Amino acid sequence: MSYVIGTIINLLVSTSYAMTPLTLTAVGEITSERAGVVNIGLEGMISVSALVSVAVATQTLNPWLGLLAGVGVGALIGLIHGLISAYGKGAQIISGVGINIFALGFVPYMIIALWGVAGYKQVPEAGRIPRVAGLVSPVFILCVLVAIATHYVLFRTSLGLKIRALGEEPQAADTLGIHVERLQLIAAVYGGALAGLAGAFMSLDWLGTITKEIAAGRGFISLALVVFSNWKPSLALLGGALFGSSWALTEWLKVLPGVKGVVPVTIINTLPYVVTLGAVAGVIGRARPPRKSGVPYLRE
Amino acid sequence: MEDTEATGPDECLVSMKSVVKIYPDGTIALRGVDFTLRRGEIHGLLGENGAGKTTLMKILAGVLKPTSGTIYVGGRKVGFSAAADALKLGIGMVHQNLSLIPSFTVYENIVLGLSRRQLLNAKEGINKLMSLTGLKVPLDERVEGLPFGVRQKVEVLKMLFRNVDVLILDEPTTNLTLTETRELFNVINGLRRMGKSVVFITHKLREVLEVADRITVLRRGRVAGEVPRVEASLNLLAQLMVGKDAIPAVSRGVSTVGEELLIVRDLWILSDLGTWAVKGVSLTVRSGEILGIAGVEGNGQKELVEGLTGLRRVEKGEVIFRGQRIDNLPPSELYKLGVAHIPEDRVQVGLIQDFTVNENSILGIQRSMFFRGFLNTLAWDKVVEHASDLITKFNVIVPSLFSPVKYLSGGNQQRLVVAREISKEPQLIIAAQPTRGLDISATEHIRGLLLDLKKRGKVVLLVSSDLEEILQLSDRVAVMYEGRFVGVKDVGELTEDKLGLMLGGVSD
Repeated sequence: MSYVIGTIINLLVSTSYAMTPLTLTAVGEITSERAGVVNIGLEGMISVSALVSVAVATQTLNPWLGLLAGVGVGALIGLIHGLISAYGKGAQIISGVGINIFALGFVPYMIIALWGVAGYKQVPEAGRIPRVAGLVSPVFILCVLVAIATHYVLFRTSLGLKIRALGEEPQAADTLGIHVERLQLIAAVYGGALAGLAGAFMSLDWLGTITKEIAAGRGFISLALVVFSNWKPSLALLGGALFGSSWALTEWLKVLPGVKGVVPVTIINTLPYVVTLGAVAGVIGRARPPRKSGVPYLRE
Repeated sequence: MEDTEATGPDECLVSMKSVVKIYPDGTIALRGVDFTLRRGEIHGLLGENGAGKTTLMKILAGVLKPTSGTIYVGGRKVGFSAAADALKLGIGMVHQNLSLIPSFTVYENIVLGLSRRQLLNAKEGINKLMSLTGLKVPLDERVEGLPFGVRQKVEVLKMLFRNVDVLILDEPTTNLTLTETRELFNVINGLRRMGKSVVFITHKLREVLEVADRITVLRRGRVAGEVPRVEASLNLLAQLMVGKDAIPAVSRGVSTVGEELLIVRDLWILSDLGTWAVKGVSLTVRSGEILGIAGVEGNGQKELVEGLTGLRRVEKGEVIFRGQRIDNLPPSELYKLGVAHIPEDRVQVGLIQDFTVNENSILGIQRSMFFRGFLNTLAWDKVVEHASDLITKFNVIVPSLFSPVKYLSGGNQQRLVVAREISKEPQLIIAAQPTRGLDISATEHIRGLLLDLKKRGKVVLLVSSDLEEILQLSDRVAVMYEGRFVGVKDVGELTEDKLGLMLGGVSD
């Protein structure tokens, strides 16, 4: 009996870890896309932020400074992407691809340059984020609050109405005196900051290490989560839990007697991705993206 | 003191002085227009296409910047850099294609952009405004499901809720039913009682006479006249709108009119909005004849052309060409029967801008056996031969046969379209706005080609909002108004009065 309860608690805790980066990144991207700015560079932003937060935390031995640095770097990349998209009217997909490719080279290079090791760097114990009651991450709690608060702002306030108007019909917003570019930039920075928080959480809290493949597709799965949640932060929280639990389940299955050694690990490892694919395929057609999302707004 | 102007006793709320607008492509829309608007008046702004009505009002609403000229609001000189600036001074415009967000509710559309403080009691305020003005809309429904007339009310409410003193309505009755038009007029009269000023942009004579206190008539970017309601009459307004120089004396050449080749009976076609754009049009055209269809744009001409050329579904009625039903046949079938189409939009529809002159010259006839080569591929030598033949015969100036057509001037692009369509040896050619935006030589050349087709006994259906063109080329003229023909007349019977009245929706 206690084994069952223990297993359930274990699964719940691992779910809370696995869902946090997905949900944070998706909630940020939802805000950004609602304002009309699509960022497919999330994967790269998670990696770069994870790296910078480890560098700062290792140097200062203060996890909170590390976390802040990760958020800051995410916001900075979001700012650059926002400037290109909102003010430069540039191609958002290209800019996003650029971020991903930058991260692909920057992260492994910096791991070698900073620590002289190839591949990964362990975070010292003093640089890791402490857990609440030894189990729950404070970032997970923050993630739940952020999702709920973002949902409230988007759908219950005049600021949210303005943001959503930008993704639907920026011209209508413009004629009513809403500062289209400024708000789009703010939304892009917010999206970047949350992706940065997700990256910092992964390296400083969940995994306690930085590897060059730390994001492992989570940035792209977050993009799928955005679609799955129909651009609603509250549903991103639920969808994050679904995707996260499949991750937790995978880890549990790998060591389960009777499965371990029988089913190849590589097949078990595909589970979260299969769940993502199935879930998104199921909602496609029903999900309704913001009409002018990803389209640069040009005046007459 | 020099930036202000004394407010007269007649409460001149807005005054625009010598406004000139030249668009970046060189089109001169306004050539020095003066316009005044008094407090609490309904001001009709009348004119046909290209008169500059919408441009003038977009300048007042801050959407466009004037090339030169000054604007005074409440006696103070103003300069707007965005629509929001005009809105702050109480000037709001309801555009012809409304600017609402379809996925938002009516309420959300009305309060969009307002501060949190303004949102307190907003619903109450809107409800009060609705009962005050008689504009009833369902606040909690999404805009995308609402009919056009209701959406327009939402736009008006949106402006009124922002406390505008000046409301500009651009051709507001275009997509409305008769009942909805009545309702709108009641609302406008209510606004006058509230002390608001309304600018009513229209080309509809009866409507402007019914609702306006004062009428400014624009013609080709100039003020043709400013008339108080009491002095205005249908005939006077029609004359001002069209002008005395409208009817050119040009010999159209002798044509031998033959049998009735094209017969259209009771045609009904829907617009994109799902309203009736063409409401029971009937016409016959005989061989060796040009039938001109005139009218201010937006009265169903575009849908009529698309219906006749197989690009839009014909809901009801029949089209008979040489004894055969051709309604709802696909364009490829129509081509085989000898129907050619010079589309209104050469940039998007008539040509593929990134394709070369060669490729564009065979669009629509690329399946012809003439261009077939080894293993059914295109025989490029034949294509090049065809293209170079066209450009010599029709005087198209091109950098090379292998350059994309986007590098051709507008006139040469249009010559290429016309050349290609005529090379199909059509029996019936439907030409929509064939010379719009072209210089004089290209215009003359294309008009000459149409006259030539007619002399060779073909049927030409000419749809144009350029009156001079209609009168110069047509043997008979039909005027389209609100989806119907207000009359079909031999060109000799037409006077400028009569034409102006018909354009404004008045038949005799």
